[in-house]
Amino acid sequence: MTTVGFAGLTHLGLVSAVGTASKGFNVVGYDADLERVSSVLAGKLPVVEPDLDALFAANALRQTWSDRVEDLGRCDIVYIATDVPTDDRGRSDLSGIAALIDRVIPALKPSALLVVLCQVPPGFTRKLPLDADRLYYQVETLVFGRAVERATQPERFIVGCADPAKPLPDVYAALLGAFGCPILPMRYESAELAKIAINCCLVASVSVANTLAELSEGVGADWHEIVPALRLDRRIGAYSYLVPGLGIAGGNLERDLATVLRLSEQTGSEASVIASFLANSRHRRDWALRALHREVLAVKPDATLGVLGLAYKENTHSTKNSPSLELISHLKHLPLRLYDPVVPASAAGHPRVVGAKDALDAARGVDALLLLTPWPEFRKLAPAELARAMAGRVVIDPYRLLDPAQARAAGLNHHSLGAGPSC
Amino acid sequence: MLTHAHAEPKSPSRVVVIGAGFVGNSIARAVERRGVPVLALKRADLDLLADNAAESLAKRLRADDSVVFVSAQAPARNAAQLIQNLKMAEVVAKTLAAQSVAHLVYISSDAVYADDANPVTERSSVQPASMHGMMHAARELMLRTEAKVPLAILRPSLLYGAADPHNGYGPNRFRRLAAKGETITLFGEGEEMRDHVLIDDVAEIAAATLAHRSTGVLNIATGVSTSFRRIAEMIVARAGRPVEIKGTPRQNPITHRHFDIADTLKAFPAFHFTPLAKGLELAETGA
Repeated sequence: MTTVGFAGLTHLGLVSAVGTASKGFNVVGYDADLERVSSVLAGKLPVVEPDLDALFAANALRQTWSDRVEDLGRCDIVYIATDVPTDDRGRSDLSGIAALIDRVIPALKPSALLVVLCQVPPGFTRKLPLDADRLYYQVETLVFGRAVERATQPERFIVGCADPAKPLPDVYAALLGAFGCPILPMRYESAELAKIAINCCLVASVSVANTLAELSEGVGADWHEIVPALRLDRRIGAYSYLVPGLGIAGGNLERDLATVLRLSEQTGSEASVIASFLANSRHRRDWALRALHREVLAVKPDATLGVLGLAYKENTHSTKNSPSLELISHLKHLPLRLYDPVVPASAAGHPRVVGAKDALDAARGVDALLLLTPWPEFRKLAPAELARAMAGRVVIDPYRLLDPAQARAAGLNHHSLGAGPSC
Repeated sequence: MLTHAHAEPKSPSRVVVIGAGFVGNSIARAVERRGVPVLALKRADLDLLADNAAESLAKRLRADDSVVFVSAQAPARNAAQLIQNLKMAEVVAKTLAAQSVAHLVYISSDAVYADDANPVTERSSVQPASMHGMMHAARELMLRTEAKVPLAILRPSLLYGAADPHNGYGPNRFRRLAAKGETITLFGEGEEMRDHVLIDDVAEIAAATLAHRSTGVLNIATGVSTSFRRIAEMIVARAGRPVEIKGTPRQNPITHRHFDIADTLKAFPAFHFTPLAKGLELAETGA
């Protein structure tokens, strides 16, 4: 039986390991952080993902978790699945992944393959000190909140190789084959850039949606009416990213844009559209701040605000680049009532915060309510109940979690992305 | 974006205003209202084009002063005026290179941005299309590179207020015409949208920038742009007498300017701009 190792019990490493175990492979998850390993061994997973706990429990017998790098020595394939942190300009800090690889390579058995699974810039994998026949790069397409689905039912595997004309080693081909999806071998640099290309396409869609959603707000259109028409166009596609958001949320997309800008500058290619994506993202990220000042604080400067959602998106505990926390950081002079199903109110680091016990409790007595993370449970809130709980009428609901007609009927002054107040 | 050296406002020891005209006086008053001593220098007190200007300025400055540099021969319309204005800035930059002060606030202009920068943010390209914009852009660069002091650059949009000595196209001129019952003549039909900011708000932002000893760049605009026709109509409605608003054949293409003021909302979360209707009322009553 093939044994697959995962170095780095990150969001990516943990979900990938459990997903691989679910396909019948033995897995060894390694992390130098004993506390993290102990937590996993105790069944307390450090990440929140739908179905992850159940999948973890169902495949417990095939999973080994360890803080000893030597335990990777029995693996046929070892994935490097650590986080690659970015600085505030979206540049990757590769020192952590380089150190991990330096630690892992000596522990590998002589026939074992090493597969880099994290986001690295083009050119990274080819420089690693390992025989090219044993070294691969594989594109990860983790989506926070949908990570289990992505790890167990991938659309395709993109594999970077030294020589794409040569067949993949049997053990690797068998592992990937177990997922029943197309496998696309290509040279290392192409695969590394493919990951970036995927993200640039997503950003392009989101940026178009965000640009035209803002225009919709200005000209009396409703972007939500337009989206279904676009989805039915085969050239655009049913799954395209057309839902407007508060800029490009999350750091990984920005990282890839920063990488493209840096490489374009180095190579002299024209990439001003990428800079425009970033400028538009930054502009739209502040949509709620502008709406709040315009609709509430200009009239009542000392308003009490309720905030629903702190995580950067639904179904995750991650608050990295969270538009909600970003907004809250600019409201330190105001009293806030906060609620998130997973993230504690203390994460806001706000001096005048009350942690509410549920969403309705966060709305109690507030002058305005902001719904800043699209958690499914917020969609079930009844506008009429919120209206009864609130002192004021303004609801800033960028993702349109509340039904606009119901909100209007409840007497709320409802504001969402992609439509002016009359929609 | 501004970065505050003082997270909580703290009174500067003394504020020296170089150029105590329409803008400078308003800033001086706003600072005084906060109980901070002010030395407001008019041209009669300090002529930046005089031979001994640098020496004269240096003598007046103390190491713990916060300086507001607003003096300009505005607007700079031709090459000669551009050079004069740069000479004035050279004196200030040279003086502050030799003699450190606590803080420098330079009152620039949104004219430094490209005409098509919409919505304008502090990250919009500095690409002046006018002599006036180029003058401010060059002065900013001189101060940034030569004056060795923490520097905040404030770039106000179009200003209006009771004491405005300029009679430029817009609220100030319209108000004076309406008061006399004279026809307000628009360029084209007055379609252009601009962001007009009350001088008192500029002064408040400048005073807050001084109190936080902020550095960086901040635009000063309300975030709401209004057409010249609409402003004329608002002013006529307030005039209480019939005043004609007349369009003229359009000479130039219509351009608009809008601002994204998120940086201001972040820098000064408790500050709120005076809405145009209220501002016009204040300008009219001279309050």
